[in-house]
Amino acid sequence: MSRDQGELETLIKRLLADPDLREHPLNFALGQLWFQYRELLNRMERITRMSDAYQSMARQRELSLAERFDKQLRQLEKVARISDRYQHMMRELNIALKEAATHDPLTALANRRPLIERLKAETERCERLGHGFCVAMLDIDRFKLINDRYGHDVGDTVLIETARVMEAEVRDYDLCGRWGGEEFLIILPESVLALADDIVRRVRSAIDRMKVRVGDEVLSITISAGLAQYRGGESYSGLLNRADAALLQAKRNGRDSQQLAD
Amino acid sequence: MNDLSIPGSQSTPAIDGDWDRGILLMQGDSYPENSYQLFQQVFSWVERFLLESARLLTLELRLLYLNTSSIKAMMDIFDLLEEAYRDGKPVAVNWRYDLRNERVAELAEEFREDCTFPFAILALDPAASAS
Repeated sequence: MSRDQGELETLIKRLLADPDLREHPLNFALGQLWFQYRELLNRMERITRMSDAYQSMARQRELSLAERFDKQLRQLEKVARISDRYQHMMRELNIALKEAATHDPLTALANRRPLIERLKAETERCERLGHGFCVAMLDIDRFKLINDRYGHDVGDTVLIETARVMEAEVRDYDLCGRWGGEEFLIILPESVLALADDIVRRVRSAIDRMKVRVGDEVLSITISAGLAQYRGGESYSGLLNRADAALLQAKRNGRDSQQLAD
Repeated sequence: MNDLSIPGSQSTPAIDGDWDRGILLMQGDSYPENSYQLFQQVFSWVERFLLESARLLTLELRLLYLNTSSIKAMMDIFDLLEEAYRDGKPVAVNWRYDLRNERVAELAEEFREDCTFPFAILALDPAASAS
């Protein structure tokens, strides 16, 4: 309120209170005007107060909404983060599961599943492109004797070591797997029989040189192998049967040798 | 009957609420078709227990995989526990995990982050879980 206004109000209050002016013709009119002025002022103050209250209520509401929004946002971020980690965990479990489903747990070599998959792929490729490919079936000589004499733990060690040496000796694109028991299969893509023969000879001689220590004894083993080259039109099982027959022949020839299928 | 019993399936955890003992057990994987429907029952049971009983409520969790909506539902349940705990009600969570899968423990830790009530992450004894 300005000073002039304050002075004016004081003046009007004094004039209205002056007994000498009570009979003045303007006194009644001024009194009425003064009364209405006060009423208006009161109303305006009330409206201002109410409007302020509404404003502060709206502000409170806005604050609580913002707070809730922030909370939801934080929760959403956390849900996304945890969800990502669960998915990551599932992915890793999937990889481990796939590894377990396609590999022999003892030697960590491929098991029959990927071997057969690869055999199918190679026969198809061979039919399409006409490139040669070979398989070699390998068997540890007199493995049962090792198991019987030294126990299964030593037998397992022999299998693990044989697998390790075999995998180290083949080419990068050959596939080595455990076919069963003490029998191993090597798939040799892009190879004719003569080349496969050389590679298998190298594998066998590396295994011959391998030493497995059992207490004071040093154990060495030999390998027999049968090889076959894929013939057009043949099924992969037909190919395996021929390699198997060649392996049998190698065994009959006195073991520690390799035989080529007809 | 105040107990809650929802048998587990391949995609939903087994859920058992024992009102008298104040224990809610959840066990298994959780990727339900309709997670709202499943967890609404759990949420209501927990809410009612906290409202009607002054006794300790313990959540025994052996959860493995949770999909996104299940994660959200678990966080809502933990929020409920947190609120009750701040009001002075006794609540606790025991999240048990298989030692062979330590990642579950790390995930449980993520859940625990904003909780001030007792929240234990415990390795499950393999011998005990086998029986």
